[in-house]
Amino acid sequence: MSEQGPRVLVIDDERPIRRLLRSVLSAHGYAVHEAATGGEALQQVRIVRPDLIILDLGLPDVDGIEVARSLRRWVQIPIIALSVRESESDKISMLDAGADDYLTKPFGAGELLARIRAALRRVSRGEEGPVLSAGELRVDLSRREVRAAERSVQLTPTEYELLKVLISNSGKVLTHRQLVDEVWGGLHYEDALHLLRVNISNLRHKLEAGAGRFRYIVTEPGVGYRLRAADISSSGSAAS
Amino acid sequence: MWGFGRGEPAASGSGSAAPEAIGGILRLQRWLASRITPAAAPGGLFWRAEAGHRWLAYAGGLSLIALITVLGLLLKHRVAATNVALFYLLAVVISALQWGRGPALVSCIAGVLAFDYFLIPPAMSFAISDVSNLITALSMLIVGLLISTFAGEARERAETARRSEESTAAIYAFSQALVSCSNVDGIAESAGRHIVETFTWPALVAVPGEAGLLARFRSPEFPDSAHERAAAEWVFRHEEPAGYGTGTWAQVKGYYLPLRTAWGVRGVLGVVISEADRCVAARRHLLEVFASRTALALGRAVMEEVSRQTEVLRETDKMQKALLNSISHNLRTPLATVTGALQTLLQDSAVLDEATRTELLTNAEEQAVRLNRLVGNLLDMSRLQAGAVRVKREPCDIQDVVGAALEQLGEAARNRQIVLDLPPRQVLVPLDFVLISQVLVNLVDNALKYAPPNQPVEIRVRERSGEVEIAVLDYGSGIPEHDLNQIFDPFYRGQFAARAGGSGLGLSICRGFVEAHGGRIWAERRMPTGTVLAFAIPAGARREQAETAENE
Repeated sequence: MSEQGPRVLVIDDERPIRRLLRSVLSAHGYAVHEAATGGEALQQVRIVRPDLIILDLGLPDVDGIEVARSLRRWVQIPIIALSVRESESDKISMLDAGADDYLTKPFGAGELLARIRAALRRVSRGEEGPVLSAGELRVDLSRREVRAAERSVQLTPTEYELLKVLISNSGKVLTHRQLVDEVWGGLHYEDALHLLRVNISNLRHKLEAGAGRFRYIVTEPGVGYRLRAADISSSGSAAS
Repeated sequence: MWGFGRGEPAASGSGSAAPEAIGGILRLQRWLASRITPAAAPGGLFWRAEAGHRWLAYAGGLSLIALITVLGLLLKHRVAATNVALFYLLAVVISALQWGRGPALVSCIAGVLAFDYFLIPPAMSFAISDVSNLITALSMLIVGLLISTFAGEARERAETARRSEESTAAIYAFSQALVSCSNVDGIAESAGRHIVETFTWPALVAVPGEAGLLARFRSPEFPDSAHERAAAEWVFRHEEPAGYGTGTWAQVKGYYLPLRTAWGVRGVLGVVISEADRCVAARRHLLEVFASRTALALGRAVMEEVSRQTEVLRETDKMQKALLNSISHNLRTPLATVTGALQTLLQDSAVLDEATRTELLTNAEEQAVRLNRLVGNLLDMSRLQAGAVRVKREPCDIQDVVGAALEQLGEAARNRQIVLDLPPRQVLVPLDFVLISQVLVNLVDNALKYAPPNQPVEIRVRERSGEVEIAVLDYGSGIPEHDLNQIFDPFYRGQFAARAGGSGLGLSICRGFVEAHGGRIWAERRMPTGTVLAFAIPAGARREQAETAENE
């Protein structure tokens, strides 16, 4: 059955993790291919031509970040990185190197599947559609109109620009630097970082119902922000 | 008119006039003494000032002789010359007691010569015609010489006694000052200051640092050249004095003494001895005493440091035992649950009904989550203990921190009522987002664990003068008063902790992270029931920055 579904390449040197991912993904209709090293991974990508790559950060031969970077040079396959908790800076480098998303070990199977779906959807959709949506949030690009839970929301040009970037990548983590480059390109990074925080805070005030609980814009501590796609729960809940 | 006349007998005349004359002499003597005694010499010890005014002592003795000669000439016809000789002897005694042997000898010889020249016939000549006068002059010379010697010696003894008394007082003051210092730096500083005050020499006190000797005290005038440093290092390594006036490193300006303790040489004392003091042995001796007192104090400080380290080691040892206990207990318990559940499912799947299977799996999953949290805590703890926690301060929105913490808590937070009391506007505080959201996660997790499930947990954020206070409040049974200060200690577990599955690490990690921010964390009892766990982080720096930016 798995031959028909989307092809996923799992790059991880830990056999137990590969086995776990194979069981989970096969059961959900994905065709799973495996690679244990960075070198093997690049070979497999050429042969298998996967639709999505799950890449562990700690590979024995090459740094996972290097693998992501060299893959990005010639393919646009979505990459989901796997990492351990302690390495915020690794996560950021990974995302800046071109990974689409990351998951912290240990992660729940439901979480993983939701991230894979979101990543595949982003690819198939492209970024052309005039109306983007995530859950109850809708952004009409042609009319510059934003609605949250059927309620019309007035945004400043900067807030709108920021939301557009977030919703175009809904479900994907955007690092502080990526957001700054997209919205405030050319500005000094530290200054723009401050503007980013203020604008995120303002956006939340306008979009979200209550302070402290955010349905749409999720903070990834130490890394960046993510607009929550409809079926993605938080990264922290290990399993559900 | 001179009072010696009036036909009164010379003997009784001298009896009443003599005290007056002596009183005058004594006043003169006191004045002279005031010029050369230590009290008049500011900032220094007596012999130093005396050396500069030595000529005054000789002048004093000679002026006494001159005075008596004048008196003798005036009374030439009323008083016999032999009687005047006694006054000369008195002048010699005074000179000897007051100014020592040298001035006394000079006075004696000058007295005999003056007596011979002016008073003994034939006057204005050193010739002596009368045998009895010759005998008088000779006895005067002999007695004068003897008096000079004995009285001079007596004076020197008194002088020595006074010097040693003053040295003792100086040493006592020095020791007292050192006793009040507990650490090496304080001792070096205090010793250096005292040495400069007492000797008025530029001084240096150096103690071993990570890269060679470090000057803990240095007078501004103390020379700082490579040679001087090398000489000090040499003294430190060879444990022998060196420098100016010694056989080694004689070309440098400083004179260096090793500070020997029971634990080897613990420092070097250096001084630049002033020109005037270079030949005074007593000063060097006093300096050696100061050096040995300093070394004694350093030795004591070293001992204290050693015992403190022993205490730390003992604490660390205790801590490691607790850590091992905690690890073995906290890791094995969930592992046992997971392993047990999985084995049961593998082997006995057929005989288990659906509900039991679900329960086993749910249980195993819960325990795996707990295991993951414990590993995270252990990692945080070891990072804290290794000093590897780096605070990456960035202005963060407190609302965002709270939101991220709730997000991390996931199901646990979603299933319970959590009341948020946050400032209405954005509050930016310079903090490490990851660390502080972890602190909040641990505090809320703690509250959720210990408070009754049907009661809400409250998160309250307040802005105070220069700081932001974040409190987590619950309606649990509360922490006993005497435990309030201990709950942030590693492996402290209240009586309910074991039941709730705490590892005893979460709150101590909170303290570590908060203190790394220069903040404080505390626990309070809540009336009528419940606990407040709160922490405050300084928020001042950021605001000042913003203000400066605006002003510009």
